[in-house]
Amino acid sequence: MKPIDKYIISAIVFVSLVAFIFWFLKDPVKEFRVNVPGQDNRPNKGSDTSEVIKIGENFVEYTSVNSGLAGKWTHFRGADFDNINKENIKLLDKWGKEGPKIAWKVDLGEGHAAPVVFNGKVYLLDYNEAKKSDALRCFSLETGKELWRRSYKVHIKRNHGMSRTIPAINEKYIVTIGPRCQVMCSNPQTGELLWGIDLVKEYKTEVPFWYTGQCPFIENDIAVIAPGGTSLLIGIDCATGKVVWKTPNPDNWKMSHSSVMPMIFNGKRMYVYAAVGGICGVSADGDDRGQILWKTTEFAPSVVAPSPLILDNGKILITAGYGAGSMLFQLIKNGESFNVKVLQKYRPLEGLASEQQTPIFMGGYIFSIQPKDAGGSRNQFICCKADDCKKILWTSGKTDRFGLGPYTVADGKFFILNDDGALTIAKATISGWAIMDKANIIEGQDSWGPIAIADGRLLMRTSKQMVCIDIREE
Amino acid sequence: MESSDNKKSKISRREFINSSVRFSIVLGIGAIGGRLLTRSHARQMVWQLDTSKCIQCGRCATNCVKTPSAVKCVHVYSMCGYCDLCGGYFRPETKELTTAAENQLCPTSAIRRKFVEDPFFQYDIDEKLCIGCGKCVKGCGAFGNGSLQLQVRHDLCDNCNECAIARDCPAGAFSRVSSDSPYLFSGFDSKKKG
Repeated sequence: MKPIDKYIISAIVFVSLVAFIFWFLKDPVKEFRVNVPGQDNRPNKGSDTSEVIKIGENFVEYTSVNSGLAGKWTHFRGADFDNINKENIKLLDKWGKEGPKIAWKVDLGEGHAAPVVFNGKVYLLDYNEAKKSDALRCFSLETGKELWRRSYKVHIKRNHGMSRTIPAINEKYIVTIGPRCQVMCSNPQTGELLWGIDLVKEYKTEVPFWYTGQCPFIENDIAVIAPGGTSLLIGIDCATGKVVWKTPNPDNWKMSHSSVMPMIFNGKRMYVYAAVGGICGVSADGDDRGQILWKTTEFAPSVVAPSPLILDNGKILITAGYGAGSMLFQLIKNGESFNVKVLQKYRPLEGLASEQQTPIFMGGYIFSIQPKDAGGSRNQFICCKADDCKKILWTSGKTDRFGLGPYTVADGKFFILNDDGALTIAKATISGWAIMDKANIIEGQDSWGPIAIADGRLLMRTSKQMVCIDIREE
Repeated sequence: MESSDNKKSKISRREFINSSVRFSIVLGIGAIGGRLLTRSHARQMVWQLDTSKCIQCGRCATNCVKTPSAVKCVHVYSMCGYCDLCGGYFRPETKELTTAAENQLCPTSAIRRKFVEDPFFQYDIDEKLCIGCGKCVKGCGAFGNGSLQLQVRHDLCDNCNECAIARDCPAGAFSRVSSDSPYLFSGFDSKKKG
């Protein structure tokens, strides 16, 4: 072998060795990061029960009034849970030359809580940021003057608003749920505190994202509430504050922003609740009161704000935002039990959906405002037949789009509120979109609190103000 | 006498040529200097995408001549709600709000989530990992305040004469804008960004 060959072979061996060592030591994925839970440094979960909350501890009476008004809007979506005002009062079609007749307006804490109306008085669970208190405020419907206020200290941080719920009221009781799940019952005439229950302490309820959105209702003097902790639903005797029935929660479903809706199917009364985890029907009477009659996990998004929409023939529509879409299902009676049959399940691009407000069911048709992820129909007011929610019959078109605001029906008209405080009147018909008038009521944003109508007065709010508009036709 | 004065006042051919050359050189230098000065002060036009028109079709990630794309997600913090449930960070049907890979919407895990205080979380974009697909932008816009937005990063952009993304953008969201205001954020303080 020539010496030059030795050098060449040595060089090749050396280069090969270096290349091998480089290849062996090089880790091409050393910068890769494994994504596992806990990298956001979220503290361990656990409800903070250290804060001492004395529900209903403070009371202030400002004045009193006697009202001849007898109109009622007793809980979320009104007496029949359908969001349709059935008073026989002729309401205006147009705002007129002078614009909407604003009877009064009051400043509120930031949020989306909405009022109920009972015999000339308006009740709303507000949050007072300065005093860090939930406050049940009672106003005169005619003047807007505050009559009394019952409050209790509870610390709330601003998180897309603070207040979100609507009270439930009858002649003797008014029941509220605060942002951090404190339930309070008072006398609606005097403001006297009757009882309070902290759902976080008593039922290990997990406060939902952006605080409680569930609205209670009272049936036969029993307040129906869904804690979603150790008990899925409970019934509380308003007179005593005692829990008279409880629904077990074996699947550990959690409280959602949705509210419990009553339903009668095949003669059986039940409460329908869309929890975070699934949807269920709970017996409302009989020996099995409080027991789960049926349940399904077919539709279980992590956030549900709209409440179940009870349709005819055991059909129920449930919808949610955040990409979840909707599901139309039907209850089937099978002997003594109930089965769930999914009829339609689809993304918001494919049919009627809603992110925040519960749609309206009227005359066999469903009306809703499409969520932002509904493609071309986003934010449009739409109509479909109740047996085919994927077939949109008509929309409000590209020029009339709305936001997350509420809508209601009264005197054959839709009253639709936009995010920024603009109120639209449209004909409540199945034949097509027919706008009648539109007006900017007040400057504001996030006007998401549901509308209440009673005695020809419409109560609406922006994130910081509540307004009463006289909508009676002259 | 007169004729000799005339002779003196007359410029010789050599002097004329010398003067002309010098004058031309000075004029040329002046013109070049002026041109350079003008160009240095002239407003250059750069490509940018209008967030109000963007439909997050995903073509910014695939059509850019750069790999990864010069279009990145930027976070307008002043618009952010600092939500625990962030539509830009989590897949729509996520059950547990943790940083586990299966919960994240971003295909490259380019969004970092940090706990601030209960119940708020901060979201930061790692631009080295961001490919400009716009999935987070779509999620944030659909369910949140729209604080995540796509923008052309000018330190990465080649500013091609014919932008390959602009050519195929179905929303017509790309346009040339002045380099004085090279970003087109929408939001509370759009003028401060960039």
